Amino acid sequence: MGLPKKIKKTLPLTQSKTLYPRREELKEMIERDGTYLPKSLLHADLDRGFLDFVKDELKCVVEGKIVPMVDILISTQNWSQFVETWNFQNIDKNAEPPFITVIRTPEVKYGTNPALRYNIPNRRQYYYAQVPTWDGQRHGMDIYKIPQPVPVDIKYTVAIICNRMRELNKFNQIVLEKFSSKQSYQNIKGHYIPIVNDEITDESVLDLEKRKVYIQKYSFTMLGFLIDEEEFEVQPAVTRIFQMYEVDTQTKKRKPKKEEPIPPSTYITTYPDGVLDSTQTFEYTVNLHLTNTYNVDSFSVYVNGDYYGDGLDEIQINTNDILTISVIKTNPLEEGRLEFSQTYL
Amino acid sequence: MSNKVPITRLGKFFGENDYNLDISMGEEWLVGDMNFTCVLYRVDRYKTKTDDVYGETVEDGVKFLPPVEFNAYIQVSAPENKMMGSTRIDQMEPGNIRVSVYQKTLEDLEIDINFGDYIGYYESETVVRYYTVNNDGRVVSDNKHTYAGYKPFYRTISASPVGPNEFRGL
Repeated sequence: MGLPKKIKKTLPLTQSKTLYPRREELKEMIERDGTYLPKSLLHADLDRGFLDFVKDELKCVVEGKIVPMVDILISTQNWSQFVETWNFQNIDKNAEPPFITVIRTPEVKYGTNPALRYNIPNRRQYYYAQVPTWDGQRHGMDIYKIPQPVPVDIKYTVAIICNRMRELNKFNQIVLEKFSSKQSYQNIKGHYIPIVNDEITDESVLDLEKRKVYIQKYSFTMLGFLIDEEEFEVQPAVTRIFQMYEVDTQTKKRKPKKEEPIPPSTYITTYPDGVLDSTQTFEYTVNLHLTNTYNVDSFSVYVNGDYYGDGLDEIQINTNDILTISVIKTNPLEEGRLEFSQTYL
Repeated sequence: MSNKVPITRLGKFFGENDYNLDISMGEEWLVGDMNFTCVLYRVDRYKTKTDDVYGETVEDGVKFLPPVEFNAYIQVSAPENKMMGSTRIDQMEPGNIRVSVYQKTLEDLEIDINFGDYIGYYESETVVRYYTVNNDGRVVSDNKHTYAGYKPFYRTISASPVGPNEFRGL
């Protein structure tokens, strides 16, 4: 008794991710081996992806031999189809059936992928990721923005050219099984791109007087989208600055506050034996009035070294003036003295 | 090495010696009297760099083998005055060139002409026009290209004019 067809031959050891974790997983796959941004996806990438799809997913093996495939989309350059050293050429250098070739409809129209059909105009940039940055001094964040991908529908025709019905049957079986769920997917640069099978047509040459050959064409539409990395935008977001200050930890004593001078109410100069001059620096502005003399015959006054007068009753002194008084004593052997009262100004 | 089978058809009236004599007389007429010469620029298909999707050359990626001058019978078609598709841009397109060359000439020069190779043909002392091969005429099994049904002896090659943005000579 055979096993039921749907029985699993191998059991996965880990649970595959679903829902949000699966989306995270897909996002990581898109960004793998590169920046935080998705990889650019343009026409040539989609074309290469479709060629790989045909080569790998629609690989047709008949009687142990792989039906060869023309691995490029033939362009307008006359010799381009002969660039490859095919091993299925005949003596006339013509491709010998069976083989598979891919034709792309040159015009690419705006896409019908419903996920991308309606959008906000003017190519607005959308938030994609925020990426931490560190320039050696500052931590920060960059905001990565990308525009909405542009949906495109690219139509391809896969033609199988062969001489035997069994090659047609095998290829037909592969295509129908692959597209039994209406669409199939191709992973192109990390993006899953859906491919829809449109129709199957037959252009076989079955004229009696010509070389008979089966030509069947399978039309496919790739519901792709275009992402151009030139349009990506990276903007700096929040930047956090870490500043350090170095300070002296020693404590210093405060200097005592300088006290205002309290001048006495009188100013007395004495002239001991042998002394005839006195000098005083005033730290305030004051008027000196002579009040009394003792053993002084006469005296001369000098302010800041300039002669001011003799025997004056009043002397006007400004702050920081140097007052010098020279006396002539009545009795040179005794002490002389001058007494002034001070009036502050 | 492939087997060789002697061609004995028409043997009662015609043979290898007659064939060779006629070919040499034809060459004498073509080279000695007519003396149409053109230059073949062969694309080096191994060294040429192409992309892997369309097989198109990358910029400055086309590599050529050394150019070879050869004699052939040249016929240039009349130019066409037509619009490019439906663009309403009128152009006076030069006509295609038709090059008939002896197989022996190609064998003596050890060259082959393939699709996409370029052919230069001097129209005057100062004007040269280049053409790209669009039909290399490699199938010569028809009656026209065989000498009275004896053996193929020449090839007819068709080529389209190209502009200087595609090829300007070497």
